[in-house]
Amino acid sequence: MTISRRTFLKGAGAAGLVTLAPAVRSEARIGPDSFATLIDLSKCDGCDGRDTPLCVSACRTGKKDIFPQVDKDQLRDYWPQKKYEDWSDKKHLIDRFTPYNWIFVQQVEVEGEKISIPRRCMHCDNPPCVKLCPFGVKHKTAEGPVYIDHSLCFGGAKCRTVCPWQVPQRQAGVGIYTLWQKYLPVAGGGVMYKCDLCRDLLAEGKTPHCMVSCPKKAMTIGRREEIFKKAEGLKEAQQGYLYGMDENGGTSTIYFSPISFDKINIALTASHDQKKTGRPVPLHTPENLLEKQSLWTQLSLIAPIIGVVAAVGLTRSETVKKEKT
Amino acid sequence: MMTTRIRHSLTVRITHWIIALSGILLLFSGFGQLPLYKRYYVIKIPGLAWSSNYEITLVIHYLAAAIFTAAVCFHLVYHYRRREFGILPKRGDIGDSIKGFKAMFGLGDELHHEKFQAKQRIIYTIIGVTSLLLIVTGLIKSYKNLGAIVLDPMLLQWMAFIHTITGGIFMMLFLAHVAALLLKNHRPMIPSMITGKIDREYAEKHHPGW
Repeated sequence: MTISRRTFLKGAGAAGLVTLAPAVRSEARIGPDSFATLIDLSKCDGCDGRDTPLCVSACRTGKKDIFPQVDKDQLRDYWPQKKYEDWSDKKHLIDRFTPYNWIFVQQVEVEGEKISIPRRCMHCDNPPCVKLCPFGVKHKTAEGPVYIDHSLCFGGAKCRTVCPWQVPQRQAGVGIYTLWQKYLPVAGGGVMYKCDLCRDLLAEGKTPHCMVSCPKKAMTIGRREEIFKKAEGLKEAQQGYLYGMDENGGTSTIYFSPISFDKINIALTASHDQKKTGRPVPLHTPENLLEKQSLWTQLSLIAPIIGVVAAVGLTRSETVKKEKT
Repeated sequence: MMTTRIRHSLTVRITHWIIALSGILLLFSGFGQLPLYKRYYVIKIPGLAWSSNYEITLVIHYLAAAIFTAAVCFHLVYHYRRREFGILPKRGDIGDSIKGFKAMFGLGDELHHEKFQAKQRIIYTIIGVTSLLLIVTGLIKSYKNLGAIVLDPMLLQWMAFIHTITGGIFMMLFLAHVAALLLKNHRPMIPSMITGKIDREYAEKHHPGW
């Protein structure tokens, strides 16, 4: 095919228009009828007396078919580093996030009271893990859940770095990078795993495994507007505190506690044993990385206009100069 | 004394260098968006400990993208309004480019060229289309970062994938562009992008139709 100048310019013009299109296209924001969950810490007792909290065991059973199936021959160092992340021999761990454990319960004593906090992905409204994945294999749906396409993820673990709670966890030796790592061990490190809010169950009108199994009914799921209203109601009625409404720019997971989250977080940090359970999963108040940089984002979006205006201005002044001479 | 003739105006040279420098920044900060610099010990290079910090490299990427995008849009509109289309490909350019590449390595003679050789027009088009793809996908990627905006996940997956792969292609084209200029018979063109002037004898030999 021969590209004529006219065709080329038409193409360039069309491309220019496309660059401006997102600014006028209507966006699908998190809808009031998307899913949200409420975790009531005044009800959760961490399944006192049991070895494993029921939400944790229900998740592990319900999700076992999605957990990584590792071929040990595929476990290789992340060249040129001398390490790889393998959790396949540590499937029993239930006190931290791992590719085989998507929910765990933190327990801490605050003001003489034992607080149990089920922790899993917050399913953020503007999730940096999704938005910054270089291959776009993490998805946020308008229905609320944030999930990973395990068939395409090759485990760079950037999502874990940018998650304020380090939720996604990596398993080496599985996934698409195993197709090339033997010949070209330069990219990929496995697959990332985390809670997907049982989106398959939600699509069938069912409730996520962890919530169904909770004997105290401490976790409830519903439409966002209704859950947020319920959370605000609890806060007001019990003079308590909410967590997850604004953290990281807002999330779909709201915690209610009769004790302030600042106090719980201080106690969590003080009792955390990094050697035992890895990096802490705090209850802090992180600012959303993407929203923090929104001025820079806006600058990049108006750049085409700046370029066009400059070009029109300069050509006009050149014409005026030519006419004068 | 060597006689010269003007090849590139000041506007063209400034636009070129703005695109080149912002392009280098985009490549560095863009590769920084892949989890590479920690794995490959770039952070161990003195002064580059910050390179694995996505927050820093993302700000650099936005800033460089704004400069690059503005310069590319300026370039397109400026030359369109001046009706300067000499660098756009013409019928038969692909065949002539192959002959031109052969001549670069001493296999055959240079063809009768205008201001831009056939291979230069083809390369310009390839780099141009790659840049436009990067800009379009990059703008969509920027837009969705503005707030709690949920676009179709598959659209975003394709945008991210195309942007990342095209970024790799852009780097190869950039390296090829620099490497080609270092070839002996292309070196006399280098001053033209700095002073704007080119050796008249070289121009008459390589661009007799200009």
